[in-house]
Amino acid sequence: MKRFARCLLAVFSSLGTSCILLVLLGLLTWLGTLEQTRTGLFEVQRKYFESFFLVHRFGSIPIPLPGANLVMCLLAVNLFVGGLVRIRKSWATFGIIVAHVGIAMLLASALVKYEWSEDGHVTLYEGQRADHFESYFRWEIALIRKEDDGKTREWLVPHERIEDAQRSRVRVSMTDVPFELEIESLARNCRPEWAKDAGAHGPIVVDGVRLVSRAVDARAEANIAGACVSVVDERDGIRRRALLWGAEAKPFTFFAAGKPWALSLRKERYEMPFALQLARFTKEDHPGIDMPKSFQSDVKVASAGVERDVKISMNEPLRDGGLVLYQASWGPSNARPGDRLFSTFAVVRNPADQWPLAACLVIAAGLLFHFVRKLVRYVQLEARAA
Amino acid sequence: MSTFIRQFCALIALVLVSAGLNARPQASEHRTQPWSERTLEAFGEIPIQDGGRIKPLSTYASFALLRLNGKRSAESSTGEVLDPVAWLLDVTFFPEDAALSKSFLVSDSDAIIAIGLSTDGKKKRDRWTYAELLPGMPRLFSLAHDYDAIEAKARTSIQQQVVDLASNVFSFMRLARSFDWSRGGDPSDGHALTVIAPANTTNVDQPWFAPANLVAGIGPNRSLEPADAAVVAEFETLIRLRADAGAFESTLISLRDRLVARAMARGEYEHVELERAYYAFDPIRWSLASFIAAFLVVSIMWLRPRSKLAWKSTLALTSVGALLLVTAIVLRCIIRERPPVSTLYETVLFVTASCVLVAVFIECVQRSRFAIQTAAVLGTVGLFVANGYETLDKQDTMPSLVAVLDTNFWLATHVTAITIGYSAGMLAAALASFYLLGKLIGWKRDEPETRRKLARTVYGVVCFALIFSTVGTILGGVWANDSWGRFWGWDPKENGALLIVISQIVMLHARRGGYLRDDGLCMAAAFGGTIVAFSWWGVNLLGVGLHSYGFTSGIHSALWTYYGIQWGVVGLGGVAWLRERATRKNVPVETPVLEHRRAKKMRAAA
Repeated sequence: MKRFARCLLAVFSSLGTSCILLVLLGLLTWLGTLEQTRTGLFEVQRKYFESFFLVHRFGSIPIPLPGANLVMCLLAVNLFVGGLVRIRKSWATFGIIVAHVGIAMLLASALVKYEWSEDGHVTLYEGQRADHFESYFRWEIALIRKEDDGKTREWLVPHERIEDAQRSRVRVSMTDVPFELEIESLARNCRPEWAKDAGAHGPIVVDGVRLVSRAVDARAEANIAGACVSVVDERDGIRRRALLWGAEAKPFTFFAAGKPWALSLRKERYEMPFALQLARFTKEDHPGIDMPKSFQSDVKVASAGVERDVKISMNEPLRDGGLVLYQASWGPSNARPGDRLFSTFAVVRNPADQWPLAACLVIAAGLLFHFVRKLVRYVQLEARAA
Repeated sequence: MSTFIRQFCALIALVLVSAGLNARPQASEHRTQPWSERTLEAFGEIPIQDGGRIKPLSTYASFALLRLNGKRSAESSTGEVLDPVAWLLDVTFFPEDAALSKSFLVSDSDAIIAIGLSTDGKKKRDRWTYAELLPGMPRLFSLAHDYDAIEAKARTSIQQQVVDLASNVFSFMRLARSFDWSRGGDPSDGHALTVIAPANTTNVDQPWFAPANLVAGIGPNRSLEPADAAVVAEFETLIRLRADAGAFESTLISLRDRLVARAMARGEYEHVELERAYYAFDPIRWSLASFIAAFLVVSIMWLRPRSKLAWKSTLALTSVGALLLVTAIVLRCIIRERPPVSTLYETVLFVTASCVLVAVFIECVQRSRFAIQTAAVLGTVGLFVANGYETLDKQDTMPSLVAVLDTNFWLATHVTAITIGYSAGMLAAALASFYLLGKLIGWKRDEPETRRKLARTVYGVVCFALIFSTVGTILGGVWANDSWGRFWGWDPKENGALLIVISQIVMLHARRGGYLRDDGLCMAAAFGGTIVAFSWWGVNLLGVGLHSYGFTSGIHSALWTYYGIQWGVVGLGGVAWLRERATRKNVPVETPVLEHRRAKKMRAAA
């Protein structure tokens, strides 16, 4: 057993394993690049780069391959065992070890980004204000109650719970809510239609409308989800059924326990630690031609009662409170001079935001140390030989 | 431009047919003598706002003619060879003469047949005059209108040529109508020559005017500002005097001074003179000449390997070539106020320069002759590629940049680093090919030390390449994170860069592990050249992703030729390796790891 473990360790730490894994990663990168001309980026990313296993079709011949996720996990192990732990420690390998540390930092930042980042967007017309941003493709069901003092209180059903409804009905009970919600069905991409003939097996019809499923779009943000949700009040035995659709203009409203309630399916919202107001959006073209020179949003950022003016433009995002806001889009594209414009900011909360830059510096330092050392020795050798 | 054509094609066809625009639409004055040097100089020095920047009219004329005629000269009806400025003078002041100059390159006469003209007396690839094309124009514009609706990638080569020809004829007509207003024509036709800087404002985003724009502003109750009126009056005088060479010249010089002064008042003439000087001196052409000369001397070196004179001449010529190229790059940086690389064309100049400089450095350290030979070859090939790309792309090589590229910090760091990475990858491939071919033809079989030295150089260059490729690739991600909020998106250009890094890491790890020795490393490095080429050019041809900038169709064949050559060299290297292995017993070659293991065993035994 000990021998087996040692053998395994030797395999994982060997340079041969590194070479094989790197060649595999290169192959996947190459295939994934070419494949993008046939299928979209999203599909390629899912199949080649975020998978553990895949079958690539070379013409009609299927070739099984490990996915980039698997290859990178193994490479990480190889890097730690072979490149950091078992590597000979001397000045000759110092630079290599530093470079490996840098790569480990890069891997760590990728992991943090993958696991703990949130991203979304906020779209504001000039003069509008927001204190939250929305996800591109994660959904939530919001239950809202209007209180006597005119304020509202919200309860949320998260994305994962809603997704469960694809398999079976999901019953949700919430504290301080005198009824339960039952998510009966979920369609990831759908449109509402008038139901002319209510079939026994078709989608559930409510008030003559049903949600008809559509093929799921490869661009995740283009899908509009829909759900059939029932409000089940055990006390009075009333079951109110509603169709919720992601692009609906108004929420479903009802009375229960003497109070008005609203139910809405919407993109997941994240609070921002500040309020953002778009003062002005400017798009400048190069003089005389139709080529954008710059996009810029003048915004007001308000937190803790203090308001400050900030410019957000291409290549110059706003970094504040752990969030980064980028100039992503604008509109309406057919606006005439003087029209009110909107600006869309991509918002990312990524704890590892600046780690790659640090990793890059570490790697550069390691490689420079190693190769300059070698070069100096080589030049000295040549000089001596001459 | 293409939607532009679509919108105006029908209109133009209508105008052509109904107005019966013939080859001599204007008053029948002709140019009787060649343009004087001073006239050409004065006209070329006039600043024009084009493509979002201010440039000399000579640059504008040069690229306009290149687009139409595939070269920077045209032949007049009298057999006179016109340079771009003379051609532009003809087109604007003597359109009736210019209509008879050979100004339109048609690469395949099938396009001419398609528009219903006879190709008698013409070659398959030939140059045509406006007058010759005139009878086919209604059909040309009607076909172009139809073909333009087809997606560019799906067009056949003839369809593309018809669309291009229509676009070229359209540009020619726009230029030819620049001064129609002075002959009673509609001023709304003459938008082409935007040479008049707006007065009374220093806002650099303000578009400039063509003379016709100012004329169009005159109405019953609207008059021009005195300064603008003076410019228009001077243009009118110029057009009236066009047949009188002497008077034309002096009026043109005075007009130039007036236009230059207006541009200067806005601080927009700063680099125009430098750009004039850059194109007049043309350091790239001289650099190419120097590299070609070095290349010729290299061939002497192959015949007389021990000739010291040949070696010194090659070193001197290559260094001069490199110096001229660096001068060109520096001048371009000053003119554009940008770091050295921001377009595909500039990557070629930069890659060539850095390849040659690194090779000259290696030669100075080693004095083993192969690095300098490689430098001469790479310098020549690189600048031929640059010229070929410029001719194929036909666009100003100092264009305005889109918003996301408008950042000198990232252009200076990421783009420069990744381009040095390309250079080193290419240099390693060239040196490795040198090694493999040399081995195949039995070159210096009796000098294993030289061969090992060459292999060690390849290794050194791969190390150098790895630093820059890695740093450049990661910085690219950091830039993407700053402009789009994501570090890595598996975009084809990112993947290309990653492939270069991976290939170089594999080479170094495999060498360290003893899986690749000298021959294997050189084969891998030679193959690595095709990975660099794929990343540099190949991914742009895929037509997907964020980096498919630049017009690169037509580069396919050149790219595949390079792939073919490199793969051929790798294959031949493999043959040579097998041949050697069959004749010689395997001689163990030390690698750091093997050496370390042996030392460890010996220590254990002791």
